[in-house]
Amino acid sequence: MSSPALTSAPVEATRPRGLHGAPVRGRRTGAGVSFILPYLPFLIGFGIAPMIYALVLAFTTSSGGWAGAGNFTRTFKDYRFLPAFEHILLYTGVWLGTLIVFVVGLALLLHGRANRVSTGFRFLFYLPGALAGAAAVLVWLFMLDPAVSPFSFLEHNVFGVQLFVQSIAPGKLPFVFAMIAFWTGAGGWIVVMYGALNTIPHELDEAARIDGAGPFTIAFRLKLPLIRKWIAYMLILSFATGTQLFIEPQLVNEASLGLVPDTWSSNQLAYQLAFRYGDFNAAAAITVDLLVIGLLAAVLIVTRTGLFRREG
Amino acid sequence: MALRAFRGSALLWPLSRRLRQIMLTSLAAVGLAVSAGACTSSSSTSSAPASSASGKVGGSLTVWVDSVRLPVAQAYAKAHPNVHVRIVTFDGDGNGATTMQTKIQLWNRTGSGWPDVIFSEQVNDPVWMAKPPFNFAAPIKGLIPQSILSQWPSPSTTQCTINGTQYCLQDNLAQVVLWYNKKLMTQFGYTVPTTWQQWAAIGQKVATQHPGYIIGTSGESFSHWIYFWGNQCPLEKLQGSQLLINTSDTHCTEMASLLTPLIKNGTVPPLSVFTPDFAKKYGGANDKVLMMPGPSWYAQAVFQATLHIPAGQITAAMPLQWKNETPVTTGQVGGGPWIISRHSKNLATAADFVQWATTVFNPPGANARPGYPAYEPLANTWLKALSANPYFAADPTPAMKAAASLIWSGWNLVTYPDQPVWSNTVVTQLVAGKSLSSLMPAFGHALSQAAQAAGYQVSQ
Repeated sequence: MSSPALTSAPVEATRPRGLHGAPVRGRRTGAGVSFILPYLPFLIGFGIAPMIYALVLAFTTSSGGWAGAGNFTRTFKDYRFLPAFEHILLYTGVWLGTLIVFVVGLALLLHGRANRVSTGFRFLFYLPGALAGAAAVLVWLFMLDPAVSPFSFLEHNVFGVQLFVQSIAPGKLPFVFAMIAFWTGAGGWIVVMYGALNTIPHELDEAARIDGAGPFTIAFRLKLPLIRKWIAYMLILSFATGTQLFIEPQLVNEASLGLVPDTWSSNQLAYQLAFRYGDFNAAAAITVDLLVIGLLAAVLIVTRTGLFRREG
Repeated sequence: MALRAFRGSALLWPLSRRLRQIMLTSLAAVGLAVSAGACTSSSSTSSAPASSASGKVGGSLTVWVDSVRLPVAQAYAKAHPNVHVRIVTFDGDGNGATTMQTKIQLWNRTGSGWPDVIFSEQVNDPVWMAKPPFNFAAPIKGLIPQSILSQWPSPSTTQCTINGTQYCLQDNLAQVVLWYNKKLMTQFGYTVPTTWQQWAAIGQKVATQHPGYIIGTSGESFSHWIYFWGNQCPLEKLQGSQLLINTSDTHCTEMASLLTPLIKNGTVPPLSVFTPDFAKKYGGANDKVLMMPGPSWYAQAVFQATLHIPAGQITAAMPLQWKNETPVTTGQVGGGPWIISRHSKNLATAADFVQWATTVFNPPGANARPGYPAYEPLANTWLKALSANPYFAADPTPAMKAAASLIWSGWNLVTYPDQPVWSNTVVTQLVAGKSLSSLMPAFGHALSQAAQAAGYQVSQ
């Protein structure tokens, strides 16, 4: 889980229009290239090249021959394949649902507050995000164990959980992981959404108010449609990280002495296939499956929300 | 696989620290092996017994050990100033972690980086290390003198022998005995059971007469190694090229029906002794452990260091017999092996290290080896020290010594970890209130799937 807070959100809404003269465009292309240049080697080295390598592995056999769809059908038939993808999709669904409702809701609420109050809250929301990845999972393992948790009274009385084993019962796991991901990731996104809300020209807000719109109408009829693209952007990135869940179930598997299977998520299954069985081709096939699912979701979100459509 | 074998010193810590330790160990599993370099410069000559491997003892040696074996490696480095020992600690592959498999795959792919010696908590690790695609383990014969090798008990040698070649040396034996609380047994007026049936009958009595006390656990990832291995249930029995997994065998179903009511009445709870929950409920001042079938290394590691049961209460009895069936057999939990790399450029020193760690290293007092040494001459001196240990209510060593030769040989070690299968198909369901008997078919099915995925042909 990387903190998404500092990645650049689309900022077209505030871009000044009418600067499309040819010399300007040339200058801007040059400037653009110089901006992306430092990133390019990393994108190729750690993004595109491994992806091509995975594609090659997925369609070949261990001896290097053409395998066609063989690796894909073989992994699909693996008894751990469907459960792993079920877990992942359920988890991602729960997580994205809570992310949209709470991140957008809280950002809208904050934006309506006085500046000092909202700064304090933004900082507060962002705090759990500072505890990223593995560290957050370790903290959550303590929180989930009634024997050591500072919130054991909640676990005893509200959730009826007396033992750590019950906290991580199979049926609860997607929700537990979604909760961990939400707490560590949501704060960053709230900050991003708040930034997005700040790009809405003040005149629009004022005009709506003069027309008699209340805070609810302004939030849902004016602000929400204007930050639609940021929400889409959050969805695409979160969907990709969600389906690639690895570290949370891996650590819970270890800490629970094996109560949670080590192939709980699809990425874990790929890891096991590669390193326990030495079957890198099957592992690559699963990563390609994940890539395809992520791309499909991205295409769907982009076309449904008009993420790359330019107004005007 | 949860062979939390001989966590020795680690278990002396308070529980919150212990949980943290588990979690840190987990971190290590994701690839953060901590290098604890204990390096010494080369100067004087070796004082160790001569090794039969050709070449001189010296040079540099890279050793991968779990945290419990760290003192052995450090002691070797200290005793051999001419050997430059580089020690790396890792999670010991606890609970089926793939740390070592991942590393070996990567070393194999890059063609370099292999350590010279590995200690694994997983008694089955040499099985896959000796086979493709890993091909890591070096045959022991020729590296260590036959006169030394022959001092390991034959079941131990058999476990280290894969396709007719011996690939490892067990550090310790992990035979299952019946641990019991002598003080409580006398206080309650029970006699120490000799059969599983007597043991279960006491469990029924305890549930009504002394509720809250326990006579064992079913929540370890290795609980089936305790109950089903000892009772000759064929859960991983190699027959030629076939692996027999048959949970409907009477040896399995009888044990499951014996345990089912005990799990239900709370005397054999589905909880692991290594969880904070367990120590809180049954350990320390509560002192609720009446009996516990378990491996020899439970001795101080579990009762004293983890559960803090007061001195003068715990001791060991002979493994339990099934009705009047003979011979009595018992299970095994752990018995971690030493493996030498076939890629080692310093085989003589690697062999010298393994020989020293298994046949010489035996410090007294608080630093004593936590487990029953597999090398017989060392076991005798170790047992002598243990029998004089005032922690035990009575001498536990006769039972441990007798049990060492009773481990059932019909349970073969396999390349895949079967212990997480028990955890995630059985323990999670026992916690949810299902009966063990009803879970046995699902357990067998899950074991078969794991075996087939690892390339075994399974028969039922």
